[in-house]
Amino acid sequence: MKTTFSLNRIGLLLSRYFIENKQRELSFWGIATVIFMFMHQPGSISVFVFIAGLIFAANSFKAFNYTPTGMHFLLIPATHTEKLITAIILNTVYFFIAFLITYCAGTVIGINLENLIFDRNTPVVLDLFQQGNYQFGDDSVNLWNMFYSFAIVQAIFTLGSVYFKRSSAFKTILTFFVLAFVLFLFELLMLKIMFGSFSLSGHNSFNINLPRDYELFTGWETVGEIIKYVTLPFLWIVSYFRLTEKQV
Amino acid sequence: MVNIQNVTFSYSKKTELLSNMSLQLEPGRIHGLLGKNGEGKSTLLKLISGLVFPTSGTIDTMGFVPEKRFPEMLQEIYFLPEELPLLTMSIQNYENVYAPFYPKFSAEQFNNYLKEFDITDKHQMLNKLSHGQKKKVFVAFGLATNTKLLLMDEPTNGLDIPSKGQFRRMVASAIDDTRCLLISTHQVHDLDSLIDSIIIMEKHRIVFNQPIEEITKKLYFCISDRNEKDNAVIYSEDTLRGLYQVCENKTGDDSKLDIELLFNAVLTNTKQIVELFK
Repeated sequence: MKTTFSLNRIGLLLSRYFIENKQRELSFWGIATVIFMFMHQPGSISVFVFIAGLIFAANSFKAFNYTPTGMHFLLIPATHTEKLITAIILNTVYFFIAFLITYCAGTVIGINLENLIFDRNTPVVLDLFQQGNYQFGDDSVNLWNMFYSFAIVQAIFTLGSVYFKRSSAFKTILTFFVLAFVLFLFELLMLKIMFGSFSLSGHNSFNINLPRDYELFTGWETVGEIIKYVTLPFLWIVSYFRLTEKQV
Repeated sequence: MVNIQNVTFSYSKKTELLSNMSLQLEPGRIHGLLGKNGEGKSTLLKLISGLVFPTSGTIDTMGFVPEKRFPEMLQEIYFLPEELPLLTMSIQNYENVYAPFYPKFSAEQFNNYLKEFDITDKHQMLNKLSHGQKKKVFVAFGLATNTKLLLMDEPTNGLDIPSKGQFRRMVASAIDDTRCLLISTHQVHDLDSLIDSIIIMEKHRIVFNQPIEEITKKLYFCISDRNEKDNAVIYSEDTLRGLYQVCENKTGDDSKLDIELLFNAVLTNTKQIVELFK
């Protein structure tokens, strides 16, 4: 055995997961397939996947819920990197692929059953793969964007599961909202200091008026893209260090 | 095999659980770790295996810094905790999943140990077993990993009377010159024929660490008449069967070590006994 990265050990850790959670996985994806038979709206499917995914990710390190199981997990002869990569593979790649497979299976079965029962001739269309043709919130969504956003949410909840011993999903959501609120207050404070107003789009009682398409900083989109692609590895790295520091 | 130097550990800033502790463990020995509740015995096992990190001082476990938890070190350590992990898999699957992590694991040994413990059906689910049955599986697996270092926290808790004897036989046969076993226990009578070195913790530090041969060379254990007075007596306990005594062994006679009596003697007369072994 080597301290350096070992694919064999990752394989062993993955097989450990599937052997231990075989029944739960089969039940969950079975139920998901049935849901996708009736649910065809990409927006609702996305919401379902994000919520189910975050619960799944929040359980990545559920071994730490109970000290003896946490001890057992930490003492498995594999590096922290391998343990984290296994968790990422499971809650991001595996979950998303399993979701796509069950989505396709559920949709195909559902539409064909509908056609058979109600004597219709509805064509089988997998809306999720029709790039940019549906709305999710304010943005046009394609599969890659959906996957990337999903990966970030999973990374946040994976970090939460290393950080919090119990009820990690709830505590992560709470932390997220507290942080968002603090950032919101900070933003208001900065606006007040810089512009003497709490808003940049005020028209009535504030000192400044800006057109809706006004860009305060040029190149902001590039910065946004960089932040977007740095966030994911950043969250993984923080999770790694948290895992190396974990004591039970 | 394990070298602990001046280690201090605390779970909170206010109270130190281990204070400036030093300890060396040699291979080829079965060390019994004794101490009252809350002295830090389990924590010591955790420190050696890297589950908790020292506040100060250094620990060397088989040439590794345990807190790094390198696979090369972990594949040579098997830790049997007092409370067992919750795993929803069969004994067979447990073997299939975890054995490949331990290069020296012997399936033949595992099967033999299970057989000795009267566990014949490996398709039984671990989460459906009683605590004692589950413990037998983990003891059998731990011994079959053939790791250099075995750490056991109260291994006989939950075992029935015949199983305690089987446990002693198995451990005695599994330990060789390359392996080291550290057993933390309160059940001293379960292990008195097994352990060959005794470590006693008191007030969050190790106050006594001696091999059995040295103990019986310097101390004499006997049952005396209540009226007999002996200047060499270090500690005595009045029981229904007579006066149990720990005396200084001035004549070099052999006696059977009574670990419980030794433990109480060390806690009562720490200074005198430590001086005797200097």
